[in-house]
Amino acid sequence: MPAPNPKISRDDFEALVRRSGLPLSESQKSELYGAYGYVEAIAERVRAGGMRPREVEPAVIFKPAAKTGGSP
Amino acid sequence: MTSIPTIAGAAAAIAEGRLSPVALTEACLERIDRHEPKLNSFIRLERERALASARAAEAEIKAGRRRGALHGIPFAHKDIYETAGIPTTCHSKLLQDYVPARDAFTVARLAEAGIVMLGKLATHEFAVGGPSFDLPWPPARNPWAREHFPGGSSSGTGAAVAAGFVLGGTGSCTGGSIRLPAAYCGLAGIKPTYGLVSRTGIQPLAFTLDHSGPLAWTVEDCAILLQAMAGHDPADPASAKVAIPDYRAGLDGGIKGQRIGVIRHFFEKDMKVAPEVGAAMEASIGVLRQLGASVRDVTLPQLQDWNACGWLILVAEAYTVHEPWLRTRYNDYGKNFRDRIGLGAFFTAADYISAIRFRRELQEKMAKVMTEVDLLVLPTAAVPAPRLTEVGSYSSFETPNFTMPFNISGLPALALCNGFSGTGLPLSLQIVGRPFEDALVLRAGHAYETATSWKERRPAL
Repeated sequence: MPAPNPKISRDDFEALVRRSGLPLSESQKSELYGAYGYVEAIAERVRAGGMRPREVEPAVIFKPAAKTGGSP
Repeated sequence: MTSIPTIAGAAAAIAEGRLSPVALTEACLERIDRHEPKLNSFIRLERERALASARAAEAEIKAGRRRGALHGIPFAHKDIYETAGIPTTCHSKLLQDYVPARDAFTVARLAEAGIVMLGKLATHEFAVGGPSFDLPWPPARNPWAREHFPGGSSSGTGAAVAAGFVLGGTGSCTGGSIRLPAAYCGLAGIKPTYGLVSRTGIQPLAFTLDHSGPLAWTVEDCAILLQAMAGHDPADPASAKVAIPDYRAGLDGGIKGQRIGVIRHFFEKDMKVAPEVGAAMEASIGVLRQLGASVRDVTLPQLQDWNACGWLILVAEAYTVHEPWLRTRYNDYGKNFRDRIGLGAFFTAADYISAIRFRRELQEKMAKVMTEVDLLVLPTAAVPAPRLTEVGSYSSFETPNFTMPFNISGLPALALCNGFSGTGLPLSLQIVGRPFEDALVLRAGHAYETATSWKERRPAL
């Protein structure tokens, strides 16, 4: 399957490359620009759920075992 | 010595005095001398060190101090495992002169168990950039067909074990790098539960997805190796403090009454497998039924969701690890690594946070399914090993794999041979269990393996 065509313009992509600080040659930039469609497709699928509920918590969650027995 | 023993077989023969660790090591070295130039499985061979280690093992055993099943067993490490005093290159120009001062936790554990370490094995560059022909060492080749891919990134381990150069080896797995070489090379390989085996001293690829584990010829051999590798390590923040069962002792318990879920939509709808992979899968399900398991289909989120989530996390975390060098030594990396991990510069913080929240959702859906069944089964790979030249920089983004869901969920997942293609390439079954139920996964794999005859076939080198 060929890479999906990137939606980002070449100019905008060049700005992202400058921000990254990667020392890319023109041919390397073209290679990554050609593959940028994968970045967009992957990010789009990951974000497809839209607004996730608050309980989808990315941090550590402790779930201590419920206490049982004992007096009321 | 003409036949290649399993670890279990060699261990029994050594224990009974029928096999000498020195003779076994010499046989492996002789086999390496004859066939390694065709396979490129080793980055570094430690011949003299191995022979000295084998002699020491033999002397200890003769003196009545045998340490266990791994004492005197020829073995090798993927070259992202740090080895004190021995270069650990990660198959990269960037680390070709790097000599660690300390052993990785698992390297030390296996040394204590008495393995004879023959050397360091080929990988993909930093466990992700390969197979590549523009690195200081060539890519490993598949012993079943040398123009074919042995799988990655534990490619040297897959090739060396299948070729009988060593009886077992270490692998690491961030999205399938233990199970895919096991699948393509006809081996058993287990990605243990996340946190069961320490990653201290192993070059990180993606912090929250990395696992380490063994590859060997049989499931029983994997159980023996996992016994030595598993255990709490305070230096690895993800290392779990759990009791380690006797993995080998439980192997013969069978699977009668176990509830097995088949993730059929993964391989019939989400990513259609080659007909012979599908046929091998149906035959395997039949074997599991005959062994007394109850089998039914289960449904999970689409395979593409697991892969998108996993690859975003992997690329973003790997980019974080390598960013300083990517900014200063970009051209010292091979093209495959640059193409894949260079894309990490372009995911945003919001993309990454969305991915780890998505992972939480996926994990909870997996956990719910695992309350309804004891084990999951599916193919390890959609096709037999492709040709090396067919594996492109972006293959993993184009085609979802069947291994990533269990790096995302952290569940124990075993690959084992379940047949051969018409052209003689191995096919593979994947068995998955609940967290820290690695013993049940191994037991199911052993039950399948001993009920079938696939392990009788070795590649003709």
